[in-house]
Amino acid sequence: MIKSIEEYLRQLKAELAGCDRATIQDALSDAEEYLRNTLAARPDLAEADALLPVIEKYGTPDEIAAAYREIESRVPATLAPARNPAGKSLASRFFGVFAEPRAWGALFFLLFFSLFSGIIYFTWAVIGISLSLGWMVLIIGLPFMGLFVLSVQGIALIEGRVVEALLGIRMPRRSIFPGKRLGWWGRFKALISQKHTWLSIAYMILKLPLGIIYFVVFIVLISLSLFGIALPILELGFDIQPLVINNIPYYTPVWLMPLTVIAGVLLIILVMHLAKVLGRMQGALAKALLVRY
Amino acid sequence: MNLQELSAADKKFQKELNAGVTELVLLGVLSRATEPMYGYQIAKLIDEGRDNEPIIKLGTLYPVLRSLERSGLLESRVEPSVAGPPRRYYKITESGRRALKRWAEIWCLTRAFVDARLEED
Repeated sequence: MIKSIEEYLRQLKAELAGCDRATIQDALSDAEEYLRNTLAARPDLAEADALLPVIEKYGTPDEIAAAYREIESRVPATLAPARNPAGKSLASRFFGVFAEPRAWGALFFLLFFSLFSGIIYFTWAVIGISLSLGWMVLIIGLPFMGLFVLSVQGIALIEGRVVEALLGIRMPRRSIFPGKRLGWWGRFKALISQKHTWLSIAYMILKLPLGIIYFVVFIVLISLSLFGIALPILELGFDIQPLVINNIPYYTPVWLMPLTVIAGVLLIILVMHLAKVLGRMQGALAKALLVRY
Repeated sequence: MNLQELSAADKKFQKELNAGVTELVLLGVLSRATEPMYGYQIAKLIDEGRDNEPIIKLGTLYPVLRSLERSGLLESRVEPSVAGPPRRYYKITESGRRALKRWAEIWCLTRAFVDARLEED
């Protein structure tokens, strides 16, 4: 016998144990939306009495958990997870990285999006925290802090969508239901005291240094490999000297040229693999910090 | 079988029947809606005027909505709401309407087929 919405959600969460955390967050916020909206329409009844028929209609926690498990297993993440490479040779897995949308998605995420969004997140997090604290003595301090914390939740959701689209890691697809009709002050306190809020801010701050590192690493590696590949054309075709010391130009010996091309090609393949690995790690970090449950 | 086992078997049978029916019902509801609807609205509309235990558990609608969106039969947008979190509003797409038309035909054929078998004796 379930007496409160909190109890229902607790049971649902327990039933979903072992599921993907993002699925759990979605399932809980769906259930909470329905239960709260329905109960709000019957304010005359005590929660425990009103809840029984509502749960009868919505489904018991075990029924709902079973439905989410079943449907989640049919819905793949945005980019289908890399197919099990069983049956493919090591060589085709190594060279086939260019055909994997995951690798391209991760490269785009790490090379462009991370630095760009990192700058924005970092700036907003620092501005938000310092203004919140600085204005605390003024009347606008608390409202500003509330708005800032709300915006953090929005950013966490959007970042999650991008992570799922580009890195293929399942992230929440719905915003978090704010919970009981708490009023402004109650919601504010709930937001401030949630671990999730502060972890999201930590993620926003962390994104900048990580973005810089990713950007530098990938720019350097990609330039190096392009240099290796283009070296024969630059030297033989355009007579560009790769190295000049004390006005004496040094050229690459001709026998070395095929090797620089091969090294460049190998390096660019390795860059794609590195993007895949780092993308997975970044996805895991996002999941750890941005998902509430 | 005792009564309890019977009702469990009923539930299981209903659940298995519902697997495809839910999608058909949701497409039907959204094809007739004049404007985009969000989860709770859809659940309420489907439940309207029914006092006994629902055929489809309303909680199973939400994940099905999302899976329909994934397959391109619905599209959605998020809008802020006055009370509570932003809501996701669903709308049927062109390919959703085409699927609905075909699925409704399949449903009619299936129903006729089942009815005919059941009426034989």
